[in-house]
Amino acid sequence: MQGVVVFQSQDNTCNIEGLKNHYNAADGAYIDAICFDNINFKYEGIMISRAQIKSLIKREPGFEDITCSLRATVKQPKGILKESKKVMAIARKFTDEVVRPMSLELDKKMHEDPEYLPWEYIQKVNEWGLYTMFIPKIFGGQGYSLSCLFYLLEEIGTACLAMSNLIGVHYLGYASLISSWNMKMIDKISRDVARGEKTGEPCIISLAITEPNAGTDSQNIELMDTGNLACHAQKTDNGYIINGTKIFISSGHLSTWHIVHAYTDLKKGSENTIMFAVKTGSEGFSFGRKEKKMGQKACVASELIFNNCFVPDENVCIDNRGLRNRSKGIWHSNEQILAYIWGASRIGVSSFGAGAARGAYETALKFASETEINGQLLINHEWCQCMLADMYINAASARIAYTEGNYANGLYGLWKILNLKPLYYLMKYTHVKFLDKFYMWLWNKPVMTLIFRKLCLDFQKDAETARVDGWGSLAKVLCTDAGVKNCMMAIEIMGQAGIRHDRRAEKILRDAKLLQIYEGTNQINRINVFKRLIAPPYPQTEIFTAGNI
Amino acid sequence: MMISVSNELKMIDKAAFEYSRKILAPEREENDKFPYGPFFDHLIEKAYDLDFFHSLLPESLGGIGQSISAICTILENISREDSSLGGIILTTTATHEILLAADAQGLLKQLTENADTFKKFMVAYPLFSNPSETNHLCIAEKNKNGYSLSGAQEFLVLGGISDHAIIPTKMKGEAEYSFFLVNLNDAGVEKSEPIQSLGLHSCPAADVSFAKVKGKLIGKQGDGETYFEAMASRLSIAAAAMACGIMKGSFKEAADYCKKRVQGGRKIIDWSEVKMTLAQMAINLKTAEMVVSSACQAMENNEPDWQQCAKAAAIHVHEMACNLTNDGIQVMGGVGYMKDFGQEKRFRDAKHIQAVFGLTPMKKLRYLESIV
Repeated sequence: MQGVVVFQSQDNTCNIEGLKNHYNAADGAYIDAICFDNINFKYEGIMISRAQIKSLIKREPGFEDITCSLRATVKQPKGILKESKKVMAIARKFTDEVVRPMSLELDKKMHEDPEYLPWEYIQKVNEWGLYTMFIPKIFGGQGYSLSCLFYLLEEIGTACLAMSNLIGVHYLGYASLISSWNMKMIDKISRDVARGEKTGEPCIISLAITEPNAGTDSQNIELMDTGNLACHAQKTDNGYIINGTKIFISSGHLSTWHIVHAYTDLKKGSENTIMFAVKTGSEGFSFGRKEKKMGQKACVASELIFNNCFVPDENVCIDNRGLRNRSKGIWHSNEQILAYIWGASRIGVSSFGAGAARGAYETALKFASETEINGQLLINHEWCQCMLADMYINAASARIAYTEGNYANGLYGLWKILNLKPLYYLMKYTHVKFLDKFYMWLWNKPVMTLIFRKLCLDFQKDAETARVDGWGSLAKVLCTDAGVKNCMMAIEIMGQAGIRHDRRAEKILRDAKLLQIYEGTNQINRINVFKRLIAPPYPQTEIFTAGNI
Repeated sequence: MMISVSNELKMIDKAAFEYSRKILAPEREENDKFPYGPFFDHLIEKAYDLDFFHSLLPESLGGIGQSISAICTILENISREDSSLGGIILTTTATHEILLAADAQGLLKQLTENADTFKKFMVAYPLFSNPSETNHLCIAEKNKNGYSLSGAQEFLVLGGISDHAIIPTKMKGEAEYSFFLVNLNDAGVEKSEPIQSLGLHSCPAADVSFAKVKGKLIGKQGDGETYFEAMASRLSIAAAAMACGIMKGSFKEAADYCKKRVQGGRKIIDWSEVKMTLAQMAINLKTAEMVVSSACQAMENNEPDWQQCAKAAAIHVHEMACNLTNDGIQVMGGVGYMKDFGQEKRFRDAKHIQAVFGLTPMKKLRYLESIV
């Protein structure tokens, strides 16, 4: 045989029959090429022990940290693939029939009258069943896997991010509720949503964390105690009294349930966070102003005002009574709950980013394929082809990134339990009536909450929390930056047409810019990527401390 | 602008700065509501009285005959707070420059001499296109009374509120285009509602269609591209000055906010990542100021490559303005995205203005062609 054989030795040893040669390379070195002349040989493979494999794949970046999708192909139920296709098809139909025909007019209407509330769209979403679609069957929903949600959000986001967010933010509230693992409350609110679908009176959930003087402070456990938290919860005999204000609450004015974070000790919020479910109409709870935003106008950003608002104990999702006996302690459990929320919700924002990237790309592509510049279709200018290719790459990379984050959630995060094959198939193939009959009574038993908190808070490993939270941030930064970048490029390709509202590109840009800000600015998310995915092997690292800021 | 050598220029700078800060800024949010709110006539009238529309116009035509630095100073100061007015001034100045390039002082005199209000003084023009790039120009036909125009002009800036417009038009069967002056109140002119756009809400554009509307030929037939290039070369730097003004406003508002806003128990200006973003913004701003000043100087000294200086400066400063205003929102977080502050408007305006005089990638290619 003549030629060059290129191979890589992992255990520094290789045997080649005929040559009888034994190579001992330095640790980690690669043998790049060996030349053979007229020698017959048989390659026997690389000898590597189990211990070596275990040790080598643990090396940073760890195999588990960077290959969520690979692991998911084995662990994830096969049915999710079929479901994802169905969800994408439904999303495309909904986008064609509802979203695209309404989006520009709705945006205009909101521009003209910022007080307007888009109830007609909310009704449509409710009619199409999209508010119960991803609620598990055991809680009265349709039971599509939460893993499929993000494909729906991306599809709708290609036509209108605000209208996609009016669905996404409902599941943000729902995900926050789930992260408390209070099974009674999850069941109660889920069934309210399902009832709203049947009666035609939409029941939506919002999440209220941000405060006027505490944006970053309220979202990062390290900053809570030195921050300016102001939403106070005072314990009374049968519940709590909340005082304070929440701002920038997406879909607040449209929601029936609000998952609210308040603090019994404003100076020590990290260990005194209470998660409440407050219903619209509760005494002492009212809506304040609606923010006047640059984009995503249809998804109203609300001020929520709590003035001696009494919340009974039964509407407390989780407080220190539920965290006191946790193996990780209260501080770390609160950090874990926030990680569950952000790890999931930032994948939602990432899917919006991917939607924006695709929407901008598709808008520019359509324009380029119809418009002549200097006597030649834009799509035939080489520079334009390269710009469109860059935009396609951005959109595709964004989808890959949020899909990876989605897998992280499915394997280690919020919907890990629901994606376990026995539970997944039990819910998928069991009739709702049967589930209700045999399981509904269970959720009211406190023991169920105890079991789920044990499984999801105590048994979740730190590395798993880091992976879920880290990938949430990584995907969020990558996808939302890609979205804004594509919008900028679309407007450059389209020129004068790009800055007109009726050609869509400018609206996508205005909408997309918000993605880089909410759910933690991309700067804060970069710090979180460092904290979760880079810093662990470096114990000397300081994050959010006086020294490193 | 970095250079204010002459006393006259310093006075213009001061007047524009004070006007912008005291008169324009307080009503910015309200003005931005147009077309769903009232048009800001009273503020424009004040700017008109202060001669902000007249800086480049020769004294013989009722202007103040200043250099390019004067209009750049005015536009930069105004655009710090509200570049919609900058867009109105730039559009009107563009029409003057086309008429001057075409040696059509007579027509220019007709337009300016009897204009006692800004509304009569304003002339509409498709500021965001390069007529050479498009195949959809109006068509002119010669008849015994002169010329009549038919067709549609998209995104005619000030088209809905001006009495006159300068329209790029092709003679039937000819490849080159010419400019025509038309009266927008003539029968046969149809105007759309104001077009909702990304930025410059109070510098409104309209789609206008013409059905055999009388037009006056500007300069020589078929020489439109020459006049456009003369105008765009000079005014591209004025548009860059607008971008520079937007950058100044964005940086100042961001820095002021960061000095006050506290998170994690300390002012956010003390967070090193925020500092780094602000530092980059400051560097970009200073560079933009230098670039615009140098280009103005090159033009005023009539240096051989002044046109290339102006075009390169404009492309570069517009890009920097888009990046800087993006960061201007980012360091302020949620409030930067809200209309209560000026940042979101500056972000929109910066991207909007980048489209002035045609597609950015084509501007880059033409720049290369001009130097190799």
